[in-house]
Amino acid sequence: MITVNNRDRLEWREGMTVQDLLDEMGYDYVLITVTVNEILIPEEDYDSYELESGSNVVVFHLAHGG
Amino acid sequence: MATKKITIKIDGRETEVIKDSFLLGVLRDNGVAVPTLCHHKDLTPQGTCRLCVVEIEQNGKKKLVTSCNFPIRGEISVDTTSERVKKHRKTLAEMYLGRWPKVPIIQEIAAICGATDKDKYKSELTDENEKACILCGHCVHACEEFVMEKILDFAGRGIKRHMTMPFGEVDPHCIGCTSCAYVCPTGAIEIVDDMNGPHDAKLIRDYGMKINAEMATLDKSQCRMREVGTANIVDVMDAYDLLPVHNYKFGQHVDTPNIDSKMLKAKYVTQGLPDGCWKGCSMACAKTVDGFELKTGPYKGSKVTVDGPEYETAAAAANMGCFDGDFLMEYNFYCDTYGVDTISVGTCMAFVMECFENGLIDKEVTGGKELKFGATAEVLQCLHEMALGEGFGVDVGMGIRYLKGKWARELGADADFMQDIGMEVKGLEYSEYVCKESLAQQAGYTMAVKGPQHDEAWLIFMDMVNNQIPSFDDKAEALYYYPLWRTWFGLNGLCKLIWNDVVPATNKNFPPQQAAKVPEHVEDFFKFFEGMTGEPLDEEKMLDQSARVHNLQRVMSRMLGYGTRKDDMPPYRAVGPVTGEEYESRAEKLYDKQMKEIIGIDPTGKSTEEKMEITRKHRVEQYNKVVDAAYDRRGWTRNGVPKIERLKELGIDLPELVEIIKDDQE
Repeated sequence: MITVNNRDRLEWREGMTVQDLLDEMGYDYVLITVTVNEILIPEEDYDSYELESGSNVVVFHLAHGG
Repeated sequence: MATKKITIKIDGRETEVIKDSFLLGVLRDNGVAVPTLCHHKDLTPQGTCRLCVVEIEQNGKKKLVTSCNFPIRGEISVDTTSERVKKHRKTLAEMYLGRWPKVPIIQEIAAICGATDKDKYKSELTDENEKACILCGHCVHACEEFVMEKILDFAGRGIKRHMTMPFGEVDPHCIGCTSCAYVCPTGAIEIVDDMNGPHDAKLIRDYGMKINAEMATLDKSQCRMREVGTANIVDVMDAYDLLPVHNYKFGQHVDTPNIDSKMLKAKYVTQGLPDGCWKGCSMACAKTVDGFELKTGPYKGSKVTVDGPEYETAAAAANMGCFDGDFLMEYNFYCDTYGVDTISVGTCMAFVMECFENGLIDKEVTGGKELKFGATAEVLQCLHEMALGEGFGVDVGMGIRYLKGKWARELGADADFMQDIGMEVKGLEYSEYVCKESLAQQAGYTMAVKGPQHDEAWLIFMDMVNNQIPSFDDKAEALYYYPLWRTWFGLNGLCKLIWNDVVPATNKNFPPQQAAKVPEHVEDFFKFFEGMTGEPLDEEKMLDQSARVHNLQRVMSRMLGYGTRKDDMPPYRAVGPVTGEEYESRAEKLYDKQMKEIIGIDPTGKSTEEKMEITRKHRVEQYNKVVDAAYDRRGWTRNGVPKIERLKELGIDLPELVEIIKDDQE
């Protein structure tokens, strides 16, 4: 199981990447920052960084507009 | 899994780089000094000065390449100090030195490249001016890339090549952005300041240009403000279930693509250059639609230019269920022409439509108009009536608060239901964001001094999506900082768009709580203030400046008979689902889950009505708790009135103000 934003739970599977998580959560916003267990993940690593079961992922959306 | 990284060798050392990166940047990141004259970090590399050459080996072949515009696409071995490289750079530097011997940056480059003989290439072209133009082309490219203009360009060929405006005359299209001077490495272009007498004009310019450079390099992969303006938010809000649809009942709709930014760009927008509302700003957020033929109203048949539409206008169309691009243009044009606000009209019409669909009003009331959601022609009819001062449109123009009172009084319409679905607070219609799933945003809207307006809709993502302000104290802190930050823009006459509608690449390195504030841009605004007034600013001083005005405004509200807790109470539609249809649309994904996990009640076997009642009780309690916390943080009483001691702290405890609030103290 993976925790997203200290609230949502997502089923973990072998080989799951940060990009897979973003796709499953429907997070396609452009101003996103991702940390996995408090480590900042660079954007170019989203499709290769594999998550471990139990990871705590924070997907931060920076508000714009308003 | 496809990787975006490649391993290359730099002077024998292996390093991992991101595919398609330009070589110069990679070399510098790896501590290799490379001389350049024509390269600027914020401009597209040109490769014209050729000083950045390095020798690469690829597939067994060696060649010299200009590193600034060489994209790394395969495994290469780079030699930055070969004899060939050194000789090439030295010869070039000697030639530059021969032509511009006294320009400091040329002297610096010559020293780096070992070029000492300044007479070797001395000729009739030699220019002894210390601030000579060295034809680097920065100004030409900055004009085009920072502000999308072509005011400057090269003219002449060979030894006659020089930089100029068209036909050697001052071009009236120049908006005075100063980007050419900002990037000029020699001082050949200088700015003569003759406006407003700022304390330090260069400080303001330099920080402004920093943001223009971000627009040129980052906007296309961020908010696409230059491409589509604020309409980009339509796509985002629909994707995140936050776009108001059918009077805020829902957050997305299958027909949104008819009015989203892609459609506006493909079918309507014809102009998008900087309009000069802020001298020198290159965000170009305003979009224009030319040659649109009107189908209704006094200008029917005329081809007109429409200014917009912005996010709120397109979202207002969604709120009325009018997913039709032509309608959106016509609605935008006539609201602008009549001088009415697209947000207030849209939100009020959405309320009217829901009342009509629920039988609270009928065609007798609307003057024969079938005002269901999606009734584009009828909305425009109402709008024309509103402007002409006749028919049902006059009532719509009076706003939701007036309609609620009138219909309850004269028609016996269900006052409680109208209170629940009438999206207004303090008499002002809500702007176009669905806030019912974000507690902080609910209070952000209602506690805004002038009503639930679009200036204060920043907390939705922070709260609902990011879950970064989970506790009441966190929310109260956000409800302290952000409204004051917003107030500060107004106090100083500054536009907020460049604060968070483009963000520095480094913003990703801050932890979320700080990143949300876009610290580097906050600092830029502080520099604007300092450049204008001569006084340095920090967060504490900024908040105090705003808090004085914010509290003064609240006291004035009190003087006018508002400004207490009852005036900060939202309609329930802003807090949770009013109807069964609304509840069921998010029951599985949200409401049932929240009931079980957060409220602690098992929803199994309960009717929709029962579940709605439980949800409502919980949400109203939560809302009141967040308001309590926010009032405490602001130094206000539990009735929402500034405490006298808070006025004292801020130095605004004037007797006439104290007189207004003295009876409201706890």
